[in-house]
Amino acid sequence: MKSLIERNLRLFFSSKGKVFFSLLGALISFVLYLIFLRQNMQESWSAIKDSKRILDYWLIGGTLTVTAITTTGGAMNNLVSDRESNRLADLVLTDTSYTKITLSYLLSAWIIGFIMQGFMYAIMQVYFMIQDKISFDGIVFLKLLGLMILSSLLWSAINLLIFTFVKTSDTFGKINTIIGTAAGFFAGVYFPIGAMPTFAKSLIKLTPAPYNAAIYRQVMMNKELNHALKGLPVDKILNFKKSMGIIIGKGFSTETFNMGITFVIVIVLILGFYRYNKNVVLNKV
Amino acid sequence: MFLQVQNLTKKFNHKTVVKNINLSIKKGDLVAFLGPNGAGKSTTINMLIGIIQPTEGRISLNGFTPQEKVYRQKIGVVFQESILDDDLTVRQNLMIRRGLYPHLSRNLDYWIEKFALQKIIDQKYRTLSGGQKRRVDIVRALLHEPEVLFLDEPTTGLDIQTRELIWQVLNELRREMNLTIILTTHYLEEAEEADFVYVIDHGEIIASDSVENLKCKYAQNRLTMKVRSKNVQLPGKYQYQWDGNKISISVSTSDCLEILSQLSDQIVSFDYRQGNMDDIFLNLTGREVE
Repeated sequence: MKSLIERNLRLFFSSKGKVFFSLLGALISFVLYLIFLRQNMQESWSAIKDSKRILDYWLIGGTLTVTAITTTGGAMNNLVSDRESNRLADLVLTDTSYTKITLSYLLSAWIIGFIMQGFMYAIMQVYFMIQDKISFDGIVFLKLLGLMILSSLLWSAINLLIFTFVKTSDTFGKINTIIGTAAGFFAGVYFPIGAMPTFAKSLIKLTPAPYNAAIYRQVMMNKELNHALKGLPVDKILNFKKSMGIIIGKGFSTETFNMGITFVIVIVLILGFYRYNKNVVLNKV
Repeated sequence: MFLQVQNLTKKFNHKTVVKNINLSIKKGDLVAFLGPNGAGKSTTINMLIGIIQPTEGRISLNGFTPQEKVYRQKIGVVFQESILDDDLTVRQNLMIRRGLYPHLSRNLDYWIEKFALQKIIDQKYRTLSGGQKRRVDIVRALLHEPEVLFLDEPTTGLDIQTRELIWQVLNELRREMNLTIILTTHYLEEAEEADFVYVIDHGEIIASDSVENLKCKYAQNRLTMKVRSKNVQLPGKYQYQWDGNKISISVSTSDCLEILSQLSDQIVSFDYRQGNMDDIFLNLTGREVE
């Protein structure tokens, strides 16, 4: 299995195209923010002290979520193309079982998602440190690393489930584009969740994306935001945080609980479809 | 028998693709499945290697069935299309595949030398020529030293030199490793290398015999003569076919010599051709191989 993971990683990272396009959603959210959204949002936040820097964290949180979604999706390319060709058959004929082969796609996507989030984080952190003089906090960084690992695992599992049903590279590309485009809205980076109509809000809350973005934001900006909002009534602060997608449920525990439940459901579904899927995949021809 | 197949049948949505195939293959033999595209050769191979389940029938290799791990360890497969990764080098590809088998006795250098891969070993698989790719594919299939090698259309699309090179290697392997080789092909020349040929058409075996016997039965040698005039006096006991000034007859070598000597002053030119697999297929099905 080790050599299969190595293979998947090599195939992903050796292709500049795959790396770039899997990051596209995240890059778009970053660039969109810099060019269009930033000024607008800063104006509406002008009453808040240090709004510029706090907003930068807000963006980083959302963009990392988008990165986790799209890069683990891009990592599933091998899964689909191996099935499409006879490559999967060739792998199944070795001493490595189908379960291990499937697991190798999951684990390599997990690693890819983690590395790519780290990469995006480095770009954004450095950029905003130079541009807006945001600070670097070691403890926050360690927490972020932990979150990157968890969110990458969650989205790897979700993408494995989604692409379990995809049989051709063509469909894979189309679905990935849809996910990449939608990810920015679901993570609430193109505009805050508070500005969305009720239906969209409820729809988005069915996915773990806004929760994922929320815990990233809580970890990065809670301290500074609370400091900046000091003196305001508690319910006003809560309303503000909710409309910005910094808190979705009741806070950190609800967001993590929600993500955990999603993970469990996804794993159960993957296992449920396992046998069916194995037959479909191996009995094509 | 080494590989025994009984009543193998495969239906896809009520369409029978492979019908009641029986095979018995000896260890060390080279066996060819000959048939046009769509005859069911690949489906048969895919059932034999265990990646699709037969609707009916039994397959046994030394007593093992395709579902068993031991069976998979005993076979190597060269698929019709390449199954290695274009973006990795030959070495990376082969090392990764090696990593999927826990116990291997021969190291990679052995295969590199045997198949003369030194020059291309660090090239990306994508950049190789068709023949080089095939050589690497065969090495990949042999990494775990199988007893049976399956090749699905191994030399389709390759030039003659490459085809010969691959055959040279395969024949060497048979001698050295007592490797049993089972291949599908729609090239008649390729089937001629085989010890035993199964001719498959519409999912059924329509003939199975050694190349020699098949030729005797279905592909007699053919004499074609161009004569000076149509009023030539021909010996009586043969079936002649006229085409303008050309006459053709199926005859044995001794009869051929007799006819030629009798008609020597009448003949402008002649051609005596060995019967080949083309004739066999034509005689069996009434069609030429596409």
